[in-house]
Amino acid sequence: MSNLIRAELYKLQRNKTFWVLIGTITGLSALLHFLILIEWWQLSGTSFDSAGLSELNALSTFTLPLFFNLIVSTLAGFYISNEFSHHNVIKNQMISGNKRSHIFLAKFIVFTLGSLIVTILIPLVIAIILVMLFGHGDVLNFTNLLYLGRAFSLFTAQFLCFTAIVLLIAIVTEDSGKTIIFTLLLSIVMFVIEKFLTYPFIKMLYENTIFHQFSEVFKFQMTNGEIIKSILIASVSLIIIMLCGVLLFNRKEIK
Amino acid sequence: MSDFILRTNKLSKKYKSDFAIENINVTIKRGEIYGFIGQNGAGKSTMLRLVTGLTFPTSGSIELFGNNNPKELIDEQKRTGAIIEQPALFPNMTAYENLEVHRLQKGIPGKECIINTLELVGLRDTGKKKAKNFSLGMKQRLGLGIALLSDPEFLILDEPTNGLDPMGIVELRELIKVLNREKGLTVLISSHMLSELYQLANKFGIIHRGKLLEELTGKELDEKCRQHLRIKVDDPTKGATILEKQLSTTDFEVMPDGTIKLFNFLDDVFTVSRTLTSNGLVIEHLSQNGDSLENYFSKLIGGVDIV
Repeated sequence: MSNLIRAELYKLQRNKTFWVLIGTITGLSALLHFLILIEWWQLSGTSFDSAGLSELNALSTFTLPLFFNLIVSTLAGFYISNEFSHHNVIKNQMISGNKRSHIFLAKFIVFTLGSLIVTILIPLVIAIILVMLFGHGDVLNFTNLLYLGRAFSLFTAQFLCFTAIVLLIAIVTEDSGKTIIFTLLLSIVMFVIEKFLTYPFIKMLYENTIFHQFSEVFKFQMTNGEIIKSILIASVSLIIIMLCGVLLFNRKEIK
Repeated sequence: MSDFILRTNKLSKKYKSDFAIENINVTIKRGEIYGFIGQNGAGKSTMLRLVTGLTFPTSGSIELFGNNNPKELIDEQKRTGAIIEQPALFPNMTAYENLEVHRLQKGIPGKECIINTLELVGLRDTGKKKAKNFSLGMKQRLGLGIALLSDPEFLILDEPTNGLDPMGIVELRELIKVLNREKGLTVLISSHMLSELYQLANKFGIIHRGKLLEELTGKELDEKCRQHLRIKVDDPTKGATILEKQLSTTDFEVMPDGTIKLFNFLDDVFTVSRTLTSNGLVIEHLSQNGDSLENYFSKLIGGVDIV
C-alpha cells in the first residue's frame, strides 16, 4: 500500500487547488491573527479566551465546522471527485492491480493529511509565529501548551472522521460542485440541530457526534471521562465510516 | 503456466432490465491479437470493463492467466495494461508526470521505464507541455504509454485509434505488431472499424447487441471473405483432378460436403464449366461466392448496417 500512498502524495503535491488553499489559508490566517493581535478585531467569548489565550482567538474561526467544511470539501471536490468525473483517472488506479480497499485507504490518508495541513497546521503555526513576533510569547507557557496539545489532538481525532465523511461524499457524488454543496448542507444541518432542536432524544444523539465534539474539545477544563468519551466517539465513528467507505468503494462501478 | 490469457464463461452484465452483454464466451490464447468487433453500443466496452474489473458481472465468470478466483483476479490485473474508452490523464501534469503517477501506483522500481516508454510512444520531446495541451493523438499515445509502462503480458485496448490521424493509426498498428512479435504480448483490441482490425488481429470475436455471434481466426475470416467459385459436381475427386491437370491450378479446396472452392478463374467461369462438363462431370451448382469484410459482417449481424 505504500506505493499507493506515494502516488497519492505525488498527486496532492501537483494539485493546484491544494496550493491555492494553502496560499489562501496562510493569508487569511495571518490577517485574522494580525487583526486580533493589534486589537482591531475584538473577539471574545471563545474557548481560547477562557483558557487565557485570547491572542489565539482567531483560531476559533478555523475550528468552526461551518468554516472548515468549505476548505475540506473544496479539497475533496478538486482532489478526489475530479478523478471520477473530469479526468476519470480513477480508471487507471482501479485497473492497476491494487486492492480497492487499499486504494480507498491511501486516498483517505493523503486527503486527511492535506486537509490537516490546510485546516489545522497552517493556522496554528501562523498563530504561534505571530504571537511570538508581537511579543506575546509568554502566553505559550507549559499549561497553555498542554491545553493546546490536548485540544488539538482531540480535535484532530474528530477531524479524521469528518474527512472520512467528506471523502465518502466525494466518492458518491463524483462531482466537485456536489461534494461542496452536500458537505455544506451536512454542516448546516448539524448547526441547526445544535442551535435550534430541543428534542431530548435528538439532542442526546447530537451530543454523541463528532460535530458536538468539535466545540467540546476546546473546553479549558475537561475531565478524564470527557476525554475518553471524546476519543471513543472519534474512534467508533471513524471505524463505522471507514467500513462503510470500504464497502461502498468495493462495490462501486466505475463509469 | 496457462496457455490461456483470458477465458470468459457465460459472462453477462445487466443494467436494469437490459443486458449489455449476455452469455459471452471468449477465449484468448497467449500471443494472440484478438480483435473484438462490433458496432457502437454492441457491448465491447462493457466486456472490456468487466475484464479489467471496473465493473462487475451479473453472472458468469472471468479467468485471467488461468486464475478465476474473483478475489485473486485483482493480482492478475498487475500483469495487464489497459486503455478503456478515452485515455485517462491528469490534464495539469506533463507526460512524464502522468507516467510517474502510474509508476508509483504500480510500484515499478526505477524511473528508466518512464523514459523508455516515452521513447516507445514517441512523446520523449514533449518536455513541460501539460497533457491538457496535447492533441487527441498525443493523448492516445500517452494513454498507450500508461498501459505499457509496467511491461504487461496482456494489453487491453478499447478503440485505441479514436482521434489518431492515418499516420498515427499505422504507427500504432506497427507498434502493437512489434510488441506482439518481439515480446509475445497478447492483445485484446476492440474497434468498430473492421478493416482496421483486419490488418492487425489474428483472431476475431464479433459482438452484436451484447451477444458474441462468432469467434474465428484470421484464416477462417479470410476464407469466408475470399472471392471464389463454388462448384458442386457429381464426383468431387475427379473434379479436383481435372482442375489440377487441365486448368493447372491448385488454388482450390474440396470441402467436407464435396463442394469445391476455386479461388481463381473468377472472370472465366465459362472455361471452368466447359472443362468440367467436357470431362463427363455433371455440374450441380456453380456460383461466385465470397464477401467483402463489411458485407460479411453486415450479413452476420443480420442487417444492412455497415460498421
